[in-house]
Amino acid sequence: MRHAMALVLSGGSGDRLSVLSAERAVSAIPFGGKYRIVDFVLSNCCHSEIERVSVLTQHAPTSLHDHLGSGRLWDLDRRGGGVEILQPFLTREHAGWYRGTADALAQNTDAIMASHAAQVLVLSGDHVYKMDYRDLFRAHEARAAAVTLAVTAVPPGERQRFGMVTVDRAGRVRQLEEKPKTTSARLASMGIYLFESEVLAECLRGHPVDLVLDVLRPLVEEGERVFAHEFEGYWDDVGTLESYYRANLDLVAPEPRLHLHDARWPILTRDEERPPVLMLTGAEVEDSLVANGCRVAGRVCRSILFPGVEVEAEATVVDSVVMQDTRILRGARVERAILDKFVRVGREAVVGSGADARGDGVVASLTLAGKYAFVPERARVGRGAVLGVGTGPEDFVENQIRAGARVADHPAHADLR
Amino acid sequence: MSGRYAFVLAGGLGTRLCLLSERRAKPAVPFGGKYRIIDFTLSNCVNSGIYDVGVLTQYHPTSLHRHIGIGRPWDLDRTRGGVQLLQPSLGSVTSDWYQGTADAIYRNLVHLRPRRAEHVLVLSGDHVYKMNYNLLYAFHQANHASATVAVTEVSEEAVQSFGILETDARGRVVGFQEKPRRAQSRLASMGVYLFDRAAFTQWLVEDAERSDSRHDFGRDLLPRLVERGEAVYAYRFQGYWQDVGTLDSYYDTNLALLSDQPPLDLRDPEWVIHTQSADRPPVRFEAGGRAERSLIANGCRVAGRVVRSVLFPGVTVLRGATVTDSILMHDTTVGKGAAIDRAILDKEVVVGAGGRIGWGEASTPGRACPEHLSNGLLVVGKGAHLPEQVTVGRNTRIGAHVTVDDFSGDVPAGGVIHGPDPEH
Repeated sequence: MRHAMALVLSGGSGDRLSVLSAERAVSAIPFGGKYRIVDFVLSNCCHSEIERVSVLTQHAPTSLHDHLGSGRLWDLDRRGGGVEILQPFLTREHAGWYRGTADALAQNTDAIMASHAAQVLVLSGDHVYKMDYRDLFRAHEARAAAVTLAVTAVPPGERQRFGMVTVDRAGRVRQLEEKPKTTSARLASMGIYLFESEVLAECLRGHPVDLVLDVLRPLVEEGERVFAHEFEGYWDDVGTLESYYRANLDLVAPEPRLHLHDARWPILTRDEERPPVLMLTGAEVEDSLVANGCRVAGRVCRSILFPGVEVEAEATVVDSVVMQDTRILRGARVERAILDKFVRVGREAVVGSGADARGDGVVASLTLAGKYAFVPERARVGRGAVLGVGTGPEDFVENQIRAGARVADHPAHADLR
Repeated sequence: MSGRYAFVLAGGLGTRLCLLSERRAKPAVPFGGKYRIIDFTLSNCVNSGIYDVGVLTQYHPTSLHRHIGIGRPWDLDRTRGGVQLLQPSLGSVTSDWYQGTADAIYRNLVHLRPRRAEHVLVLSGDHVYKMNYNLLYAFHQANHASATVAVTEVSEEAVQSFGILETDARGRVVGFQEKPRRAQSRLASMGVYLFDRAAFTQWLVEDAERSDSRHDFGRDLLPRLVERGEAVYAYRFQGYWQDVGTLDSYYDTNLALLSDQPPLDLRDPEWVIHTQSADRPPVRFEAGGRAERSLIANGCRVAGRVVRSVLFPGVTVLRGATVTDSILMHDTTVGKGAAIDRAILDKEVVVGAGGRIGWGEASTPGRACPEHLSNGLLVVGKGAHLPEQVTVGRNTRIGAHVTVDDFSGDVPAGGVIHGPDPEH
């Protein structure tokens, strides 16, 4: 894969991921008990022998930059190629911020072309899947395509969430529809586009903003050789709270669709050195993922515990995602919640108590706590409530946060505590 | 403090660890659910700011060499300094197999030549402890010592296993006996020595020229220095230190990690023990899985019951299986309904469904190494495959890489199943 480079679009602000993306890019959100979302794409690149990867960042990139570092973890610390971060910059001509996916590429045309790659693989940093991109390259070359899109079948009920692709018998793309209300197409675009570099360069000259609307759709309409390559494995766009939660909990289902225990395709990540999980007397853990560094004396069921989480005796965690170094103190109860890093749930407090908040679906029943949120002893946090980054005792009224309430972020409070 | 250099002696045979060190040097023996014994010494070095380390290997070094690699996990992959593996070689006047610990260093003095270090730290890769070597340097300099030996207090019964030092009120060593039957002092050498470079070089050369020396620090060099009144001091280390030299002490030291307040805190963010660890997913607990009072590393899958045990990465405990008071190393699988009790299973062991491993009375000592297999523990070597429904008694030894065909039925207490010849 010496002649290919990958561009990973990781700039999204992810408003739909609430407090989880308050201080970090969607790609940098922790996932699956020890990973960050972007690890899946980077590991795919590593295992597919793509040695040159540029990550385009914009929104709250610090956490992502820290995570990537020199790219060592994915064997992307290379003399030639390796990983490179493309953050917006200023030039004499324009104001810099990326206005859309195609604009992000267009502003980096020089960097892309300087790699002299024959093909450019455009990826999204917000998706969870394991894919050998070499299959995509082979299909692309076999059809002498100008562009090849990776597509996957989605059930009728979900088609309005995706860009839908209509193909002919030869696999050639005939139509692209963005989030259609109704469609006969069964294949969704996975946001994975393999371009011949010359074709991409030509397209970027026209100052496009959006990759689908301003680049791909015109190419299809002009009759360029745009093909679709169907991917049959597990793939999930975890860009909404609901899909993020569902994808995490799916990992602890009896037959998960995404296999993390796959020695041939390990997901590589920045792994802090932590001791093995310590299970104390009284611990009860079922249908859960628990990472190194955790210490469990309570009960954990259908949940995901990231490194360093502590669940004290008589505490219960059910149907929840609990990130690094969060502590759930004695007798507390956490149900259907996503707790970000360094959260502290006080003794006998309840997070996710009572009935669901008004509204529909998963989100109304999910309770969220941003980084450093602090739930005092015996406090109650209703379902569907969102505790902003740094929420503290001062935000509780009668030791309670009502169902569906939103506590604003105030990260500085966490520093004062 | 720049220009500090440490030699780590990692050639040890570790014969008393039975099967565990049959095909790997003692420092490479897995410990504590994800570490190797040498990780403690290497982590102590980097945590003390010593980033220039030579590791001397000799006996079965492959596993150790692979583990250390270029030293990345310890930040020892450096442009200057870092870690260097020093295996015996041919080609110069001083080259040959290492005869003793002092001889091993003598043959590697060449590595000291280009370095500025004024002191030489000599460590052993065989011990489990967390120690800040800066305090040793400070003590050495404050006492204007030529050599400083770190010591720790051991029990009266243990004195016969160590080098025992007698000191005067100021900490100066006035007596040094290697593994005495009985001793006045209970201060044992930890195998941690700090020397003044110039004196050290001279002493090593002198020792090498003596035909009556076994070229060992503990048996020859240090007693001789003490005898002739060199400024040898003992630095009293107060923390936890374990030799893990025997199967029993290895087992006890591992299981001690399971208490609420373990004597060795692996969770201390100020003194992280670094190791080479493969990328493994978090531990997966499945329905029916249950674990109490146990250490379980990433990559494990638990669908059975685990009590008071240490599970290294990638261990699978299938439904209905129970593991009690045991140590299971990397990628070992316990089949459905199998029961393991008081056993040490090396890496990649497969226990067939319904097997009972560690069963019945514990009074028959093992036919293989009876001195190590007499307290009920049993050991299974790397890659052994145990048949379904087999019962294996206590104090047994199942060799590495045995296959189900090597069993002709149950294995009685104290029994042995020999694996293929370890040298082939």
